Amino acid sequence: MAIKFEHVSFQYKSIDNKGYLALDDVNVVIENTGEFITLIGETGSGKSTLVQHMNALLTPSKGSMNILGVKISSTAKENKDVQFNPIRKQVGLVFQFPEYQLFEETVEKDIMFGPKNFGVSESEAKKRAREAINIVGLDDSYLSRSPFNLSGGEKKRVSIAGILAMEPDILILDEPTSGLDPRGRDALLEVFYQIHTSLNKTVLIITHDMNTVYEYAKRVLVMREGALVYDGDPVKLFSRKNIDNWNLDVPDIIQLKDALESNFHLDMSGTIRNKKALLKRLEEVLS
Amino acid sequence: MKVVIGRYVPGSGFFYSMDPRTKIIALILLMIATFLIDSFALMLGAIGLIVLLMMAGRIGIKRVYLGLRPLMFLLIFTFVFQILFNRQGEILLSRTVYYSFLSLALAVGLVVFWFFTKKFTRFKLFYFVIMVAGLYAIFTEIGNVSPFATGTLAIYEEGLSMAAFIMLRLIIIVTLSTILTITTKPTDLNLGLEHVLKPLKIFRINTEDIAMIISISLRYIPTLLDEANKIMLAQASRGVDFKEGKLKDKVMQIVSLLVPMFIISFKRSDELANAMEARSFTPGATRTRLHQLSWKRLDSVAIGIAFLALSLSIVLRISPWI
Repeated sequence: MAIKFEHVSFQYKSIDNKGYLALDDVNVVIENTGEFITLIGETGSGKSTLVQHMNALLTPSKGSMNILGVKISSTAKENKDVQFNPIRKQVGLVFQFPEYQLFEETVEKDIMFGPKNFGVSESEAKKRAREAINIVGLDDSYLSRSPFNLSGGEKKRVSIAGILAMEPDILILDEPTSGLDPRGRDALLEVFYQIHTSLNKTVLIITHDMNTVYEYAKRVLVMREGALVYDGDPVKLFSRKNIDNWNLDVPDIIQLKDALESNFHLDMSGTIRNKKALLKRLEEVLS
Repeated sequence: MKVVIGRYVPGSGFFYSMDPRTKIIALILLMIATFLIDSFALMLGAIGLIVLLMMAGRIGIKRVYLGLRPLMFLLIFTFVFQILFNRQGEILLSRTVYYSFLSLALAVGLVVFWFFTKKFTRFKLFYFVIMVAGLYAIFTEIGNVSPFATGTLAIYEEGLSMAAFIMLRLIIIVTLSTILTITTKPTDLNLGLEHVLKPLKIFRINTEDIAMIISISLRYIPTLLDEANKIMLAQASRGVDFKEGKLKDKVMQIVSLLVPMFIISFKRSDELANAMEARSFTPGATRTRLHQLSWKRLDSVAIGIAFLALSLSIVLRISPWI
């Protein structure tokens, strides 16, 4: 149990002091190894606010949370002795827009910025930068380039490398594939899946792409109007009747499967979560 | 947000229904009048009138006081400066000041003590006065133990009255401008400014452009604040601790905040310019407006009163009877 939220509510303050309830009584437990979670929900449902709590960038207005053994509560007085920086090293959060974090002269320096802030030596940070840039699918020649002359997708990859180089235990990504072309998106998702499987790390991805959710996620969280309305298996989620109320799309694979079943009366039973499995099943049924 | 200066507060009352042009012109006239007043009685009279005006216009005095609070430091600073360095008129008070190790140590101790305990008291101003009185006692009485240097603290009549005058003037000016900004929406204020500045056209200054620049800047203050906040969160995720750190780290922290800020602002302005041009905005072309300013009888009366106050202050200034 690495991250535990207990009745966490968060209110954004507005000028007229009414406030806006972005999180409403959220209870969730996330393990620090072996999870691959997707977080979905409409825009404005509180997804980003929730993940910003997970590395203690925001602290709850009500309720309490326990992040890797550090208890964080709703009052500033009780949080006085909390060391926030170690939490942020262990729980790496990649923001949606890379423009918010790129600032150095070269990509290499920018990737090294995070590790160096956490006390990693210059040479070690350099080594990590090289590794991280390769992990996100860019070659070494990018290290000497300016981060501002890159394309949108490349900037995104560099910003992800900047967090990967911190070697966090839990990796959280806020819409990592938005603004990428389909091929780049698939490649990057594969990278996150590799990080998850080879290092047995927990990865949490915010996404609007139901295909990603259905294909990769072991667990899915659904947010609606600040509340966590679903926490569990993605297969079960899409077989529920009320997903229309949550404004969620049905993944392409399920639509295709349903069409094959109803239009061609093929028996497509069994768990089919990606193209490969669908093709395999088709071959079995048709032969 | 604690800052009250320059912030619009929704409400009702005659100030709200006035034309922004009226308010701007009246503010300028009344400011000039304030600078012309040179007797204490008149200054207090002016303050009384302003308080009456505020009560009639249903503007809380507390709100204006909150607007003055951030300027308290400036007010006290000018006051002390005037008292200490204006050496004209009769001497009211003259004391020897002793600089000794004891007095310096005690003074530093007292200021540090005041700095750390001031947040526990509700009467901050009173506490500050006590602190200043303590400093005075330390330098003139208690510190007289083998001093290595002495000086004189002298307060002159002219210095005291000038100090009080400047302080009252500043209070009046800030109060008047606060009334303007509290009761006028930034967009209205900008529109009013555009009209008031129109005479500058004879110097070939395009007032519409200036007004557009002001309104765009005002519009983007909250957006940029929001952006800065997001950048801070993103950098905090990479281990930047904006609260702590040595001087060397501080520089790096600020750079990590400023560079993305600049990049985003340039990008934004570029996009805004394109969006404006896509909707046929042409600099310098005549534009029509959705909200037209309308001059009412109230405005004429207000301008009349402001002119009256200005002429009265001129007459009283040059007349030989007072």
